[in-house]
Amino acid sequence: MAANYNLIKVLLAPGEVIRELGRHNSTLAGQLKHSLVLLILLPPLFSGIGGAVFGWRLGANEPLLLTIEQAVVISFLYLLSLGFGFFTTVVIARWMGTTYGASAPLDVYISFFTVVSAPLAVASVAHLFPHVFLNVLILIPALIWSMALLYRGLPVVLQIPPERGMLMSSALVGWLLVAAVSLLGITVGLWTIGLGPAIRI
Amino acid sequence: MNTVVQTCYDDKVVLRLIQFSVFWALAAMTVGVYLAAEFIWPTMDFGQFWLSFGRIRPLHTNGIIFGFGVSALMATGFYSVQRTSHVSLFLPKLAWFCCYAWQLIVLLGGLSLLAGWTSTKEYAELEWPFDIAITIVWVCFGIVFFGTIANRKIRPIYVSNWFYGALIIVIAMLHIVNNLALPVSIDKSYSLFAGARDAIVQWWYGHNAVGFLLTGGFLGMVYYFLPKHAEQPIWSYRLSVVAFWSFTYSYIWAGPHHLHYNAIPEWVQSLGMVMSLILLAPSWATMVNGIMTVSKAWPKLKSDPALKFIVLSLAFYGLATFEGPMMAIRSVNVVSHFTDWTIGHVHSGALGWNAMVTYGTFYFLVPRLVGRELYSNTLAHWHFVMALAGTLLYILSMWAAGVSQGLLSLTVDSLGEPSFAFRDIMSSMKPYYALRLLAGLIFLGGTFMMAWNFYKTLKGGTLVRAEIPTVPEEWRVRSNPRVSHSTEVQA
Repeated sequence: MAANYNLIKVLLAPGEVIRELGRHNSTLAGQLKHSLVLLILLPPLFSGIGGAVFGWRLGANEPLLLTIEQAVVISFLYLLSLGFGFFTTVVIARWMGTTYGASAPLDVYISFFTVVSAPLAVASVAHLFPHVFLNVLILIPALIWSMALLYRGLPVVLQIPPERGMLMSSALVGWLLVAAVSLLGITVGLWTIGLGPAIRI
Repeated sequence: MNTVVQTCYDDKVVLRLIQFSVFWALAAMTVGVYLAAEFIWPTMDFGQFWLSFGRIRPLHTNGIIFGFGVSALMATGFYSVQRTSHVSLFLPKLAWFCCYAWQLIVLLGGLSLLAGWTSTKEYAELEWPFDIAITIVWVCFGIVFFGTIANRKIRPIYVSNWFYGALIIVIAMLHIVNNLALPVSIDKSYSLFAGARDAIVQWWYGHNAVGFLLTGGFLGMVYYFLPKHAEQPIWSYRLSVVAFWSFTYSYIWAGPHHLHYNAIPEWVQSLGMVMSLILLAPSWATMVNGIMTVSKAWPKLKSDPALKFIVLSLAFYGLATFEGPMMAIRSVNVVSHFTDWTIGHVHSGALGWNAMVTYGTFYFLVPRLVGRELYSNTLAHWHFVMALAGTLLYILSMWAAGVSQGLLSLTVDSLGEPSFAFRDIMSSMKPYYALRLLAGLIFLGGTFMMAWNFYKTLKGGTLVRAEIPTVPEEWRVRSNPRVSHSTEVQA
């Protein structure tokens, strides 16, 4: 039955996947790693296509179009950032886990965060039409969904009491907020010192 | 003449200050929501000057900082300094004077802002009669606080008192220097400082008002109430003391980061930027100390909805104290300054940190002060959910709006001219402002739920007389104990 688990199951029945992960199902963990590769590729792919074909709409009328080369470079850097962000989150969560009484292997953390990040990764389809407000509207519900999975799923997967899970999830939310604002700051900083693309209007 | 040592703490003034604080939270947040609505429907001022953005914006900020924030700090300061000194308040009547005089200043000061009285200095808009009144009440606050510490029966001065003490001393210094002015009429004065020097003094004040009032004061709250709440000693007391001194030393230099790319010397801007980055270390030391303390208290979460607020407040404290130094870097600041990103940053601190830690503390205090259970834990839980949702929605909408504004305003055409007019950029922001309004309504709704919960908890209840415990011999003040007016009741 474990073979039936796939990306659709992660999205439609995350509770079931989380309970299975809580039993430390290694087959499922392996399958989820394959899903992770796909999930982590989606946002850069969508944003590259959207930036080059439709152009970024920051709110004013004219779209800011990227050349194909620029879109490829930015998407690649986006992929690197996501990969770095994902694995640092996994490592930090495992490090934090010892404080909260969890002793799960690294694979369990990787699988769990694959499930948590799935709604956001799929919602990045909004990047295809990169209107900022449209993206905000689509990504905020996805973010709420991901946060709900984090808070509800973490104690189940790590086999710790829900109260300890709540504390650990909150500490992770703190880390993720800092990571998000860092990404924002690094991007803006690179852009203003001249490493951003020249925009065609 | 016989004397009887007072055996109970003075908690009535604490409860009254909490009630005032909740009242100002409701009033000032309602004004904030109204302001948010004016961004979408500018005609909501109905042509009335007193409803215009320029007048009600300082009403919102002053109401939150001085009404809600300072009342909460006075309440928690008076409560904790008694417990950590093992004596009742020094000059309790002066404490009552502080309580009511402060509310009068906030009320009349708010009305004066609506009437158009303003010094035009951000967070220091109140005109000179109010500045003098604030100084008098603040000095009285200091007398009560430090007098209580001087009378203490226990030798160590607990770390929360260091933070409250820094709040009182530094805010007095900032307030007096920044408000030095020449009055020309009852409602108008002119600053003694001019030009760029005025700007530097103003942001030395402005940033450190954030630092020592909205950060230092509330850290005092955390250091006392978090261990109490968690029934755990602070994870590392040594770290808390190191954090206090490094925080106090580094914060005071960071003000010039508000003036990047302005007409002040570049080295002053660089100094502000570097000190802001250094500030991250003591800020996060406190966050780690708090998170580690609460990590051992997880069984309490089952029965105590208030602890969740404090846990989340530490996460937002971590965010705000990271984001601030990051935004102080000039290459980031060039985009973020004068945009809604700054507004989002301020609210990640004000809603996520200040309001949440205060709510958590009030949920802890109010039932204990009257010796009853909280009226509804379910309501408190839903308040928590709404506070979290409102804060996140606010931050995300302002991040998106701010970065859009910053990048659009920096985009130039082939001739080097701005590609987008300011008017066009602003007119495209309405969707984000609608999200911000929704976020504000959600957060305000949660605060109303808390007020109702407290009203029902307090209704018909009477204040518990908390007895002062005796201090173990090894912890007693060794010198001849001083007996003050406050600890004596003439018989």
